[in-house]
Amino acid sequence: MANPVVELENVRREYLVGDQVTVALDGIDLLIEHGEFVAIVGPSGSGKSTMMNLIGCLDRPSSGVVKIASDPTSELNDNQLTSLRSKAIGFVFQQFQLLPNTTAIENVMAPLLYQGISSKQAKQSATEMLTRLGLGERLNFDRNRLSGGQQQRVAIARALVTSPDIVLADEPTGALDSKTGAQVIDLLKELNQEGRTIILITHDLDIAASAPRRVFLRDGRIERDERGSK
Amino acid sequence: MRLLGTARLALNRIWATKVRSLLTMLGVVIGVAAIVALTSIVDGASQGINKSLATLGTNQLNITAMAPDALTEQDAQALAGLEGVSVMFVQAQNEGTIATQDKRVNARLVGVSSQYFAAVKPEIALGAYLSDSKFAASAKDVVFGADAANDLGLTSDMLGQTVKLNGQDFRLVGVLDDQAGFGTNGRVYVTLDAARKLFSQYPYVSSIVVQADTPEAVDALQVASDRLLRDRYGLNAETDARYTITNQASLIAAVSSITDTLGLLLTGIAGISLIVGGIGIMNIMLVSVRERTREIGVRRAIGAKQSNILTQFLIEAIVLSLAGGVVGLILGQIAAFFLAIIGDWVFSIQLETVLLALGFSLVVGVVFGVWPARTAAKLEPIDALRFE
Repeated sequence: MANPVVELENVRREYLVGDQVTVALDGIDLLIEHGEFVAIVGPSGSGKSTMMNLIGCLDRPSSGVVKIASDPTSELNDNQLTSLRSKAIGFVFQQFQLLPNTTAIENVMAPLLYQGISSKQAKQSATEMLTRLGLGERLNFDRNRLSGGQQQRVAIARALVTSPDIVLADEPTGALDSKTGAQVIDLLKELNQEGRTIILITHDLDIAASAPRRVFLRDGRIERDERGSK
Repeated sequence: MRLLGTARLALNRIWATKVRSLLTMLGVVIGVAAIVALTSIVDGASQGINKSLATLGTNQLNITAMAPDALTEQDAQALAGLEGVSVMFVQAQNEGTIATQDKRVNARLVGVSSQYFAAVKPEIALGAYLSDSKFAASAKDVVFGADAANDLGLTSDMLGQTVKLNGQDFRLVGVLDDQAGFGTNGRVYVTLDAARKLFSQYPYVSSIVVQADTPEAVDALQVASDRLLRDRYGLNAETDARYTITNQASLIAAVSSITDTLGLLLTGIAGISLIVGGIGIMNIMLVSVRERTREIGVRRAIGAKQSNILTQFLIEAIVLSLAGGVVGLILGQIAAFFLAIIGDWVFSIQLETVLLALGFSLVVGVVFGVWPARTAAKLEPIDALRFE
């Protein structure tokens, strides 16, 4: 493998609920290379949210090794993990999760500002990114004045603006009608063609089908790892 | 994120929840306003008291006879010879009657030595003092205190006219302005010579006032005066109470310490309301952290460090408290301004008060903001994102 951005090696993640141990992921091995478009597919309870948290540097494995952009996450403290997340991951959430009381451009500027980039430079980058995604006319709209599709495009702009190694999209079409959803998937495909690594977390087989590689999860294990379009 | 950016986030949030923010500030506003107003009342009151005490004479020792024949003019002359004495005067006083053709009342007749008016410098309302230079020629002149003049119904056209003191004729040469002090307005002043003829027995005097060159010299002068008088009368025992010496400086110090204590007590009570205000801020901040759990999760996911979240919430609490402090300071000063008019003292904005008000509200913001801010910063990003 030439240039893996995600490496999971015998990863196990268990949770203590009350005094009972629940195994969310059980012995996962997975490599995702730079430039891939991968769907991680599974019903609820299959472990895909846990997988997203681990790949997104929001969580660390109970055992095994998770390497994101070659950094093993188990060895990082909270600050280092945040830095890695900020550099390597761009999140797109199901409910868009735009920040309250902020405009489109302020949302897109936020990740840059957290990286310590000057407000002037952040504004410029955010404007460019929003314009690219067709929101150049709506820079100063707050979320109440944006449609669902527009909000998700702002969220995608926010995920892309730091030029992360991985765009991690969690059910990005879940809160959209099918037409707008399809547009978002097309946008992700387009971004992939430009060379970005896209990881799509979904329970929807139709949505998953748009990805060239599909990893099926069930009960915390990889059931199937398919390549090629259907 | 740079501090300025974080501060903007905090300000945006406060602006977005204006009504809540205002209500949250209210506790600090009331606390600070109360402290500022009370501080100014205490300042004003002690200003007034000190002014009253100052008219009694600064740097002064009052030596008061405990019996009619306890102190003499010779004692006074001996005291005047002590080192560091700048002014000295004696008074003899007794109850007597004052009368015009129409009216007759009781008053306190006071005979004073020539230096008295120059040393005490009372404000004059009409006419003139018994002046030092013409003192010898003033043996039949009288100056009235404000209340004594009122009691007798004196008017300005009676200046130069005759009034009777204990049945003897005197010429009215002056009336003093209303003076701060204990019972000084009811006095009627004549020369010491005149007083001898009116009531006192030569050479006895009722009190001797010695004024030191400097305030620092007063204590030493008190010891020296006491030793001199003890020597003159051959007194040894502390118990032999022929006279008492009172020190104006120690009287002022005693009164100041009372007003200081009173001030501290009142400020302490106002401080409690400030603490209650702080608890209000903490309460709202904790609610706010809970309401914004998902926002915190999203911020963590897009790259906010724990310290970014901590700073954001802490600044929010500090801004709320400090803004409350500024509003409270303004309201408190307005209240102090009107209180100064009512209480008839000088209104001034003290730098100390401003710093105290702002300092206290800053401390309240930090102290009561830290816990909510830490709670926010310590949230696990996954839990925060999943929070409904």
